[in-house]
This record gives sequence, C-alpha cells and structure tokens, in this order.
Amino acid sequence: MVYEALDFYDVDSRLTEEEIMVRDMVRDWVEEEVLPKIEDACHKGVFLDEWRIALGEMGVLGAPLEGYGCPGLSYTAYGVICRELERGDSGLRSFASVQGSLAMYPIWDFGSEEQKNKYLPKMATGELIGCFGLTEPDYGSNPGDMITKAEDKGDHFLLNGAKMWITNGTISDLAVVWAKLDGVIRGFIVETGDEGYSAPEMKGKHSLKASVTSELVFQDCKIPKDRILPGVKGLRGPFSCLNNARYGISWGALGAAQACFDSAKEYALSRIQFDHPIAAYQLVQNKLAWMLREITKGQLLASELGRKKDTGDWIPEHISLAKMNNVDIALEIARMARDMHGANGILDEYCIMRHMANLESVKTYEGTHDIHNLILGRHITGIQSFTRSL
Amino acid sequence: MVEIAVLLKQVPDTNAKIVVVGGRVDESAVTSWVTSPYDEYALEAALQHTEAAGGSITAITLGPARADKVLKDAAALGVTKLVRIWDDSWQDLDSKQVQSALANAVQAAGAELVYCGKQSADRNQGSTGPGVAELLGAGCVVEVSEFDAAGTTYLRPAASGSEKVTVAAPAVVTFTKTASDLRRPNVRGIMMAKRAQIDVVAGDVGSSTVNFNGHSSPAEKPPGKTYEGSGSVPEVVGLLRDEAKVL
Repeated sequence: MVYEALDFYDVDSRLTEEEIMVRDMVRDWVEEEVLPKIEDACHKGVFLDEWRIALGEMGVLGAPLEGYGCPGLSYTAYGVICRELERGDSGLRSFASVQGSLAMYPIWDFGSEEQKNKYLPKMATGELIGCFGLTEPDYGSNPGDMITKAEDKGDHFLLNGAKMWITNGTISDLAVVWAKLDGVIRGFIVETGDEGYSAPEMKGKHSLKASVTSELVFQDCKIPKDRILPGVKGLRGPFSCLNNARYGISWGALGAAQACFDSAKEYALSRIQFDHPIAAYQLVQNKLAWMLREITKGQLLASELGRKKDTGDWIPEHISLAKMNNVDIALEIARMARDMHGANGILDEYCIMRHMANLESVKTYEGTHDIHNLILGRHITGIQSFTRSL
Repeated sequence: MVEIAVLLKQVPDTNAKIVVVGGRVDESAVTSWVTSPYDEYALEAALQHTEAAGGSITAITLGPARADKVLKDAAALGVTKLVRIWDDSWQDLDSKQVQSALANAVQAAGAELVYCGKQSADRNQGSTGPGVAELLGAGCVVEVSEFDAAGTTYLRPAASGSEKVTVAAPAVVTFTKTASDLRRPNVRGIMMAKRAQIDVVAGDVGSSTVNFNGHSSPAEKPPGKTYEGSGSVPEVVGLLRDEAKVL
C-alpha cells in the first residue's frame, strides 16, 4: 500500500525525479520497517540497531554531502528524507540529523583530508556512528560560555569538561566535541575508547524515547594531536552544523504533523457521537481545516527554503524562521489531534501522543523556539537581545 | 551467463480510486501508479538469478511516458537495459497485440529467459506470459513460487501440492508471490537510475481482433447488515463461525 501524504498544494510536484525516488524509498521503508515497531521501541526506550543498518544501506546518511562515499543529494532531498523519517518518529530523524549534519558535516567541511578519508565513508554507511557535543549542563542557549576546555600537552590534547543532551552519545563510535583551546572554541574528534572519555546514557525521558540521549564526560581525556578540526575556529563551527540540522528539522516536523493530521482525520471520520461521525461537526472541521492550512504553509516554507539551500541563496535567519514555525505548528497540530481523539488520544494505539511528546523536545533543541525569535528580532532591528550587555 | 527479459507493467495503485467517465477509465484521475506486484517478484528473481549465474537483465514495459517510472525503479535496483514500447496512435490494444509487441522486444533484447508476474494487478488476465511464450515458441512455467537462483529450476503448484520443474531456454516464467524479500533501492541506485537511458520503441502490432465496447464500474456492494442489542450476539457469532468462517 502506497502512503499518500497530505499535499494540498501539490508541493512535491516541485521535486525532481531523483528526489521523488528518494522520498518513496524512505517513505516505504518507514511504512514497513519503522511504524510496526516504533511503539515497542519507545516502550523499551531503545533505538533499534536495524534502523541504523537500513539507513546506511539506503545511503541517506549525510545526504547533501559530496565525495568521501557520501550521497551527494540536494538539500531538498535531505529535507524530504527528514520529513519521511519524522513521520515515523522524531527519534529516527534525530539519529539521521545528528549523524549527517552534526557529526559528518563538520568533518566534511572543517576536517583534514586524513580525517575525511578515515571517518566519512564509514559514517555514510552507518558503520560508524557519530554524535555532537556542544551543549553543557549550564550552557545551552549560550554555548559561547562553555567551560569544556582543551589543553595542548605537546604530543596530545587533554580535554576536561562535560556535555549534556547528546543524541546518539552512548552508541557513538566518535564524538565531534567543541571545547575551548586557549580561550578559542575548536572542534575535536573523540573516539570511543579514548582514555578519560565516557558517555553514560540519560534515562527517564518522556520524549524521544526511541532515541539515545547521553552525557559526554571528559576527565583528563587524552586525544592525539591530529584529532583537532583544522578548518574552523570559534562559534562559526558548531553554528554551521546547527544550520544544517535545523534546516532538516524544519522539514522533519512536517512529517510528524502529517502523521497527526492523518490520524485525526481518520479518527474523526470513524468516531460516531450523537449519531454522526464527529467529522460532520463544524468544530472538528474547523480544526482539520486549521491543520491543513498550517501544514500547507509549512510545506511551502520548507520547499522554498530547500531551493534556497540548493542555490546557496540563504541566510541563517531563513532557517530560524522555518525551524521555529514548522515545529511550532507541528506541536500545536499534535495537541489538537490529541484533543480530537478524546480519551483514545492518550493510547499508543495512535501515534499522536508520541509525536506530541517528541515535539516538545524538538521545539527546544537545536535552538529553542524563543532563541529563534530573538535571532529574527536581531535581524529585524539590528539589536541583539540575548544579553543585557548592549 | 544468462540474458533475462523482465516484463514490468505499470498499474494503478491498488488503493487508487478508479473513475469511469464516458464508458472509459479516466487514467488522469489515477493519482498513484505502481509496478504490478507480481512483476516485482519476477524482477527480484531475475536479479537473484543474474547475481548467481552472471548475465544481464533487460526491463521491458509497454505504456505511455508515465510508464518510464517502472523502468527507472528497476534501474535503481541495478537493471541497466531499459525498453519502453509505445506508439501514441495505440489505443485499447488487445492481449494478443500486447503479447506481440512484448515478444518482439524480447527478441530484440536477445533474451533467452523471460520473467514476468503471473497476472497484472489491474486486469488479472494472466495471459501475457503464456501468450509471449507462444509467440516466441518458448517453454512456459507459470505461477512459480520458489526458484533456484543459480539455475532454471522452479517450484509451482500442482494438483496434489507442488511440483519442481526444470525448463530449457528459451522459456517464459511467470511468478506469484515468492518467499524472497523484495529489495529496496538505495541512493547510489537512484543516482544511476537518473542517468539510465530508456530506449523507446514502437512496432507493428497488427490490428485488434477484440472490439472494445466500454468500461464499467463494479456493482456497488450491498449494504451491510446491522445487529443491535445483546440478544443478537448468538446469531452474530453463528454467522461469523458458519458463514464468514472467521471464528
């Protein structure tokens, strides 16, 4: 059975033949291999290793990167992949986002030839898993004040500090870690097994349960000198990665929203109250129409942003707007869908409560909703309002 | 080394709504077209066969430009030779004309084996495989459910279970659902499919001997019966057990 996604304005007709084939490949895989297993994975709090293998076999990891065994797809194709994955679960899309945009991208853009050749081909196949260490327990929205530091010890670097909320951390083979070296933020590649490095899993999440979230701890962690990313200094490094990840999220959230819309529509048409399907009532139709309206606007936003990314005609604020808007409407759609399902909406028989809980995280990570507002506010006014040090 | 032609038909997705307008199916109203499912099993068998024995596959379809999709999908799985048969003047080809066009394409491809689904998901006639075999003067094995990927041994239903047969080339083999998992494309395959060339060929299919009079929708299903109240439970259980045979 072919899943037909809500596409009121036929936005996908803008896709190339290649992008459509990629969409269908991922869509079919999610339909057959993820949806039947996702609730159980959430209950158990695991990310299935078979999903890692399949993503690698499909060749979608690091989608827009070229060379070094990477797929070399368009940014639009990358967006479509994120959308289809997140229709399955935000945890699945998070895995792909972190692997591609946050771990592979900095090596691809800022790494040495040796680093690129060593890591990227195996990361593209999923043989090696990567994670990204930027956020710290006390420094989330203001990573510039991070306290993790690196010291040059002559023949090696010594890392000390801790990172938190790290997707894929415990299952990763390598971490791209941002730390201050002589007061300047630099990127380092830390491998599992490096002395003084550990990545304990964070437990007790009510959100992104089918995703591994970890702390990264560096206690006199000793890494070779050739593990520093030579191509970037300062916050531009991690922010470049985040731009790509946030871009993927702007598409991904629409997948979760579509799943919630589909469930709400089907439920409203089949649920009989007062002798009629609840879809026959104006209040319910109003909600469905609002969902359709917001998803369609989000699709147009993502599609246009995709073309901008592909032509290079974009600024980070474009991504902030799309990430903020599309996650926001997806979360509201999930909440509204839960309401339309009545009590049934809290059951795992339906996807909506899972998507709703996931989207609470997605709203916060990769730049919170409010931070993206401030980024846009700075763009509009020319005045930054992150701090009072004006 | 074996040369296999796989016949792939593009059909409306089984979920697609079929609309009849003016006594004819309105193809423009079909929102989703797919490769006929049994043909996908035939393609998977051909891929396994050539992987085990060496050789190559030619994917052949008959249809307008939209049917390129089934060939591109095959290309994404590694098929390198793609042929679409079509002439814009064709309309309402009958089975024999279709078989004739396909047989000509098979001969032009130099294939010694022809794999296809046992029937298409839209018309369900099951005539293409045997018809092509007849025109080619080839042996024919139908409804194959298992196969030896390295050779030409096939398992098919028989009066008392199943039978294993071997067939010499040239031969046409039609497949039902097999135990093989259908492989998925990957990005590398999709990139190759983008560059793959499709040979579009026409040909003389002769005149039809079947007169097309018109399509009609299937009769509406009669409305379901409603049972209310706990008193009807024994009757409903009895019907589920004795008529529906689901209990």
